[in-house]
Amino acid sequence: MAEIDRKLLLDCALCPNMCRCECPVDQALGKEAVSPTGKARFAHMMLEGQLPWSEEFVEAVYSCVGCKGCETLCPFEGLELAEELRLVRLEAARQGVTLNSVQPYLSNLKKYGSPYGSRAPLSEEARGSKGAEVLVFAGCTTVANNPASLEAILALLDRAGVSYQMVEEYCCGYPADLWGDPELARQLAKENVRLFADSGARKLITNCPECWLTFKRRYPEWEQELPLEVVDGTAFLLELVREGRLKPAKVEGLEKVAYHDPCVWARYEERTEVPRELLASIPGLKLEEAAAAGKATRCCGGGQMFQLASPAGSEAIARRRLAEFPAGMPIVTDCPFCREGLKVEGAEVLELVELLQRACCGGSGR
Amino acid sequence: MSGSVEAIIQESSMSPEESAALARDLAKIVGEEGVSTKMVDRLATCRDFWPLMGVWFVEGKVPALPDVIVWPKSTAEVAAVLSLANERGIPVTPFGKGSGVLGGAIPLRGGIVLDTKLMKRVKELDRENLMITVEPGLNGALYEEYLNRHGFTGGHFPQSVRCSSVGGWLACRAAGQLSNRYGKIEDIVVALEAVLPDGTVIRGPKKPRTSTGPRIDLLFLGSEGTLGVITEATLSIWPYPEQKAKLSYAFDSLEQGLTVIRKIMQAGGRPAVVRLYDLDETAGHFPETREAEGRCMLVLLIEGDSTLVSAEVKLAQELALEEKGLDCGEAPVDHWDERRYNVSLSSKMIRQGAVLDTIEVTANWDNAFTVYKNMREALLNVEGTALASGHYSHVYPEGACLYMTICGFAPGDKTEYYKRFWSAAMEACLASGASIGHHHGLGLHRGLWMEEEQGENLKILRRIKQALDPKGIMNPGKLSLEVAEKWQK
Ligand SMILES: Cc1cc2nc3c(=O)[nH]c(=O)nc-3n(C[C@H](O)[C@H](O)[C@H](O)COP(=O)(O)OP(=O)(O)OC[C@H]3O[C@@H](n4cnc5c(N)ncnc54)[C@H](O)[C@@H]3O)c2cc1C
Ligand code: SF4
Ligand code: SF4
Repeated sequence: MAEIDRKLLLDCALCPNMCRCECPVDQALGKEAVSPTGKARFAHMMLEGQLPWSEEFVEAVYSCVGCKGCETLCPFEGLELAEELRLVRLEAARQGVTLNSVQPYLSNLKKYGSPYGSRAPLSEEARGSKGAEVLVFAGCTTVANNPASLEAILALLDRAGVSYQMVEEYCCGYPADLWGDPELARQLAKENVRLFADSGARKLITNCPECWLTFKRRYPEWEQELPLEVVDGTAFLLELVREGRLKPAKVEGLEKVAYHDPCVWARYEERTEVPRELLASIPGLKLEEAAAAGKATRCCGGGQMFQLASPAGSEAIARRRLAEFPAGMPIVTDCPFCREGLKVEGAEVLELVELLQRACCGGSGR
Repeated sequence: MSGSVEAIIQESSMSPEESAALARDLAKIVGEEGVSTKMVDRLATCRDFWPLMGVWFVEGKVPALPDVIVWPKSTAEVAAVLSLANERGIPVTPFGKGSGVLGGAIPLRGGIVLDTKLMKRVKELDRENLMITVEPGLNGALYEEYLNRHGFTGGHFPQSVRCSSVGGWLACRAAGQLSNRYGKIEDIVVALEAVLPDGTVIRGPKKPRTSTGPRIDLLFLGSEGTLGVITEATLSIWPYPEQKAKLSYAFDSLEQGLTVIRKIMQAGGRPAVVRLYDLDETAGHFPETREAEGRCMLVLLIEGDSTLVSAEVKLAQELALEEKGLDCGEAPVDHWDERRYNVSLSSKMIRQGAVLDTIEVTANWDNAFTVYKNMREALLNVEGTALASGHYSHVYPEGACLYMTICGFAPGDKTEYYKRFWSAAMEACLASGASIGHHHGLGLHRGLWMEEEQGENLKILRRIKQALDPKGIMNPGKLSLEVAEKWQK
């Protein structure tokens, strides 16, 4: 398991906040304590035993949305502040401190395998075809907040003639890992790997970037070997469009949309063209870019499940981000957290799959 | 509660009961979420980026803790907070982004830290008159980003642009790296709004200069929070530069380089960036430039309207060749541009036990070189100093700012060593006839030389302070307006 890089963390604690203009938490909350350097300073002081491991100080190291905004400006080679802070949270948990606000979600995870509580069993339709090559992994946030987007991807697969299956999945492990319970994360991962192996599927597609990242980045760390290839759902759909198996048509009454780049796709993967090509495939639809777009995107407020850890903070970040979009058109994104995060002030936000469903299947039907 | 963190220059503070009562009253003004007495917030706002604070941080020490932090959202809220504090004689220290480098934002006597970060709106972009009006807590980089999106530039790029606030710039008389074309912040400012300790709001005219008596608002330039709080600023802006030209030359001596930049400025040229490095800094920054080996590098960036740019390029080329400057092309300018915000070395050095600082002073052309020579010698004579180097980076028809960098390993106590090299630098600077500060302000530490710098003027400044802030609540102990009991030379 990775260890805290104490030298780099101290370098950051000594840095005059040279990236704070790109830290959404800092900018939205306006508190020195949650500036990048502030977080590093409190982490260092607790690790040094200068401060106790208490909720008050630990909260500062939870005040990160993992957007990598800081890294775009950071001069320190190899410093991933969000990653260091994650490791500090693991240490905090070892010291007996987990943020109060996330406790109920952790309990749910232990009890139900989802941070949001019990999940309804899959419908026959969603289960799809047993043994199919493609396994759709919905992700807890999609199921809890926007089942319509799951509906949409299934409808699109049907439309393209791709046979799929779903399993009674567990949380990918992401929140447990974020909030200092790597053991729980590993257990969940293990359950999933078992289910995937039993399914016989060869390809897992997911429209949740956080699940995707967890499979890619954390499963190997947790020594959980995935028995199938993990594919980004949007990229998969784009392939179907390119192959002509999905044929987007004009969406009546919709001429312009804005697009919000999720941090995972734009910053971690530098994947910014896929959604744009997909949007461009919809006839008569014009994309209007946000003031900060592509790799220069800014967090929606939902990164690292900040909506659950700090609902007010998350909303403040979302308001700030919303101001960067052109007015009078829906915002499209491809992340369930971003969709949820940006839905403040009555903004119309939809996931790319939902839009594609309208373009390919008409209305919201199959 | 603060574990083993020690506040070592705190002069006074409130009891927990007193600060809780104060917080309750402040919450009536700014709302519950706009005030905090939490240790996490007190620790976070107890200091700025005075390099000695890094050394203390590693040693587990902090300077002085505030009792309450307040985040007002409007001028009216600032006025109400100050009136309340004034009525009760409670100290108030304004806090922008805490990037000040001389301890200006340290709440020596506890009380209230007034953090401006939630006052960050752009209030008006005046395209016709090329002015913008903003709140003081706006982050520098986001200010410039806003202007760029609308086709303008603010022309103000301190190295700390990403981590400083507009209010902090004004309060410290900051200088951006492109100051030679756009001016220091005091040249860029059109008018200010500020709140006095008794809650009175003053406003300057947003007009192209006035001849209507002394400008009260401009008294706040360089006041570093000691007179009140700047709550709004109207600043000049420029069309985004049409063209940029990059030039660089290496000279056998620093004096030759100085002659060139003096002549450029005196001929009316205004290259945005002018940086002339001494031998050590040239070797450190431009090791790949062969022509610069054993020489002093001059980097120039000229920008603006294309006709003017061509004329300035011609002028600079002619003058540089007259002094036998070796043309080093564009690469050194690009190198400067790429590294201009990289301050990682200072973290690394402090972590490894070094003590360091930068000291910027300002001199007329006739002694610009002497000041460098004397300060460098004085610094190198302090036991422990490993490096004392310099460059000139803000220039005027009448003289230049000299920016010295010092790094050393203390033979004993780090704080004592720090004080020793500063004293050596200040004495050498004053003895050479230069002014002790160009753009970082005075804060706590350089404030200790106010008397030597200002002489009789200091008495007048103290009278002004007394008139505006009779109870002495605003940022006490700074600029030598009162004595800082626990911080002496
Ligand atoms: C890496 C680095 C590079 C730097 N480069 C430069 C540079 O190139 N040029 C330059 O000029 N400076 C530079 N500085 C110094 C510093 O960034 C400036 O002094 C800056 O103007 C401070 O702004 P701030 O918002 O961080 O102010 P703070 O540090 O928060 O405050 C500075 C002082 O101003 C007072 N103050 C802040 N806001 C207000 C307000 N609204 N009303 C009244 N008083 C207020 C505070 O009480 C304090 O005394 C640099 C600093 C660092 C760390
Ligand atoms: S992340 Fe990098 S740039 Fe940001 S404060 Fe830390 S060290 Fe400085
Ligand atoms: S990852 Fe994002 S939220 Fe976290 S410190 Fe960096 S910029 Fe701030």
